[in-house]
Amino acid sequence: MPVVRIGLRRFQRMVGASRSEILDKLPFIGLDIESSDGEAVRVEYSPNRPDLGTDIGIARSLKGLLGRETGMPVYVVKPSGISVSVDGRLSSVRPCIGAAAVTGLRLDAEDVRQIMSLQEDLHNGLGRKRRVFAIGLHDLERVAPPLSYMVVGPDCSFVPLGSRAPATVGSILTDTPEGRSYGAIIPGRGKYPIIKDSRGSVLSFPPVINGDATRVTEKTRAVLVEVTGTGQGAVDDALAVATTTLAEAGGRIMSVRVERRGSVRETPDLSPVQLPLDTDLIRRVLGLQLTGQEMVEALERSRLSVRRTTVFAARYRVDLMHRVDLAEEVALGYGIWRIGPLYPPSNQPGSFHPFEQFLDAASTVMAGAGMLEMMTFELVDEGSMYARFGRSGAAKVAVHQPRSLEHSVLRDSLIPSLMTALSENVRSDYPQRIFEIGRVYSRVADGVSESWHLGCLVAHSQTSFSEAKMFLEAVCRTLAGAEISAHEAEHWAFAHGRCASVGISGRMVGHVGELSAEAVDAFGLRVPVAGFEVDLRELRKQLK
Amino acid sequence: MVVISEAETSALLVEGTPAELVLVRALESEGQLTISELKSRFRSDGEFSAAFGRARAAGWISLDNSRSPPSVRVADRKGAEALASVVDSASRGAAESAFTEEERKVIAELVRRGIVKKLTTKSVTVSITEAGRSAVAEREAERALDRLSPEVLASGEWKGKQLRPIDVEARAPVFFPGRRHPVRDFIREVRETYVSMGFTELEGGSVHPAFWNFDALFIPQDHPGREMQDTFYLEGLSDRTLARKGVVANVAAAHENGWQTGSRGWGYRWQIEEARRLVLRTHNTVLTVRALSESREKDARVFAVSKVYRNESLDYKHLAEFHQMDGIIVGEGLNVRHLIGFLQAFYKKLGMRDIKVWPTYFPYTEPSLEVVGYSEAAKAWIELSGSGVFRPEVTEPLGVKVPVLAWGPGVERLMLMRFGIDDMRELYGSDLGWLRRRVELAGS
Repeated sequence: MPVVRIGLRRFQRMVGASRSEILDKLPFIGLDIESSDGEAVRVEYSPNRPDLGTDIGIARSLKGLLGRETGMPVYVVKPSGISVSVDGRLSSVRPCIGAAAVTGLRLDAEDVRQIMSLQEDLHNGLGRKRRVFAIGLHDLERVAPPLSYMVVGPDCSFVPLGSRAPATVGSILTDTPEGRSYGAIIPGRGKYPIIKDSRGSVLSFPPVINGDATRVTEKTRAVLVEVTGTGQGAVDDALAVATTTLAEAGGRIMSVRVERRGSVRETPDLSPVQLPLDTDLIRRVLGLQLTGQEMVEALERSRLSVRRTTVFAARYRVDLMHRVDLAEEVALGYGIWRIGPLYPPSNQPGSFHPFEQFLDAASTVMAGAGMLEMMTFELVDEGSMYARFGRSGAAKVAVHQPRSLEHSVLRDSLIPSLMTALSENVRSDYPQRIFEIGRVYSRVADGVSESWHLGCLVAHSQTSFSEAKMFLEAVCRTLAGAEISAHEAEHWAFAHGRCASVGISGRMVGHVGELSAEAVDAFGLRVPVAGFEVDLRELRKQLK
Repeated sequence: MVVISEAETSALLVEGTPAELVLVRALESEGQLTISELKSRFRSDGEFSAAFGRARAAGWISLDNSRSPPSVRVADRKGAEALASVVDSASRGAAESAFTEEERKVIAELVRRGIVKKLTTKSVTVSITEAGRSAVAEREAERALDRLSPEVLASGEWKGKQLRPIDVEARAPVFFPGRRHPVRDFIREVRETYVSMGFTELEGGSVHPAFWNFDALFIPQDHPGREMQDTFYLEGLSDRTLARKGVVANVAAAHENGWQTGSRGWGYRWQIEEARRLVLRTHNTVLTVRALSESREKDARVFAVSKVYRNESLDYKHLAEFHQMDGIIVGEGLNVRHLIGFLQAFYKKLGMRDIKVWPTYFPYTEPSLEVVGYSEAAKAWIELSGSGVFRPEVTEPLGVKVPVLAWGPGVERLMLMRFGIDDMRELYGSDLGWLRRRVELAGS
């Protein structure tokens, strides 16, 4: 979740409220207070509310909840006279663009920091790491309109932001961190999107990097905002969020004309989002018997306006999709803390799942037999699963790109996990008798099969096959009334001649044996180990 | 083994009565007697003469010559009484040392006269040493028992014998009881809580097509949460049965344009291949929503407590596998107030007295509420659960026409608060030390 840092002195001035009033109410507009000290609070906001991505935007929202300023904010947009022409070849590269000018700004360092942070959050959230859209901000006074959004080859050269020397598009892609991170977003080879002004200065090479020539500084009084991307809706959303935030910081929004072959469009389009006010639905969802007037007041505190049966939201409210979304807006404006709880009565008896009960009983029976229960991870490392037992990992069930190699394959047996547990406790008192009830996975023809196993290992100087078998027989009898039959068998974990397959009513349900010397040694153990592993679903079937 | 000591003791043996005493006693009983009467009391004249002479010389008797024949009577009784006392003591075994100097002279005269004999006794004392005593104990031990064996009990050999004493203050061997895992016990408590509130438990697999884990919950296919950095996809595997018809077609349309729900949808082209990818479930809502679509019940409460999987690097507050305890209530007329009411009751039963709800965002609920609980230890409100009312874009494509309240709380965070530990990894470590020594009801 993205984070906004709110400096309290500045914020109190912006909202016109006391510190405690602010801290008290921030969570009730949907912001999680992550940390706070005397001077600032850090709040997490949801990426679907980018309008809360700056302290400026949060102030706008909080003024509504506190009743300082209610209803939908209205932003006047006047034409700037600037135009941008769009190269038709971009349709297969990065087709969508929107732009606007914001003038009359007096940004201080904190404003600039907030807006940069919003830009970054927008890129990572709704922009899906710049794939869907990328935003560029430029010092308008250094731009010579009109602009062109065009396709260039890899040899096109300009001075990228933060650099002094010119570089080609091709070298930017291979030699800069931005190029390596975002270059892959541009489809196809040899065709790259560029925004240039009438003098040929490169404003931007989206979605990779801006040009240095139009860099925003603290002296910037007017900015040009351009957003390029793959979806016009998302591009318009981002432009609306960016421009209205700048307007909230004191700027005037001016539109830019986007010219394509056969079509002209003024951006930003800040026409309000409209949703029908379904008062019955809202009452039903919230369980509050609010009058129409109460509902309107609540919506206005959420910075929405109502005309007859339609609710209007400023264009930056990109999260509103369905009329049910207004229920939350009413709840927020009404005050979530005011909603009284009501216990929903039930005439249902409730019931446990029989297999979950069986798993629970298995734990109780094993503990009664003197065993200590382990709970370890289902995702394990390949080495302890296969290599240490000298078996092939060909049938492994692996996950894609795990963050940790310690958790990269789904186990097909509990014995490696239990051996790992023993190996981590060689300094603990012996005898050690441990068990685990866990899910295991195996590859089958059409996918993955899951089952629940009971695994048990006994480690001490005198342990033997017969001790393991004694426990196994006791558990099968106690848990399922089942008598097992044992047949000589081979198993990757157990020693030759000291292993049996375990059958119940003619079905193979597991193995019992003494761990092979190789396995004991591979896990660094210095005492013999015996144990068993059985399929609990098979055992459960004996209960019927 | 023994100590021998010798000692000599002498004793007196009285063999008769001195004649002068016989004479005095005769006079005392008769008052006075003539010489011839006295003489007849003795065995011989010589014995009488000696007795008469000693008694008269000692002044014990007097002779009255005025009578004829002259009579004899006792003049002084003390001398005779002293002699009688010495003879009496000696005859009762008194040692010579018990007499006074005067008396010992009398005894010596009596010995000389043969009336008293002096006997000397030599005695030898034998006593046992410490070594002797333990040698004796050893021989006795052969008759004590180490333990009551079945043979000893059967034969009656124990009779008259004792168990050999042992050092009862010595250390006993260390023993660790078998135990259930604390997470299992906590899950048991959660399950009982749910069932006591009328819920039916669900059980299901960990591997699901992305369709059920994401698409059916109106999570768009390009949502950051669906990326591999956050979700485990199984390598080289996908569901082959999913087809764009029925529920799947409805869900696809809801994503693209809102279907008939009145939503504007996400506005992108929905891909079935993406929905077929197999994932390890990232939340248990996948179980409740599948149950919902299968049963389409109008009145139901179901829950599942089981593992969910996230592609996370492990640290003190993140695990790649952890537990959630998701639940839903389906029913006509249910609303947000019921959701809050249920969550308050649920957490109260689990020991969280103070909870409240804040607005938050999930793609599949509207409104969406964050449940937070006050932690005394952290002195802060801690996130406990997401919750909300399923959106129409979720319920309507599944054919569900009544409200569905849903929530998905984490298990571990509540456990950490109980156990007072701050690293989630401790719960799933294999440290036998902790598992063996932890106090059973600590924290509950």
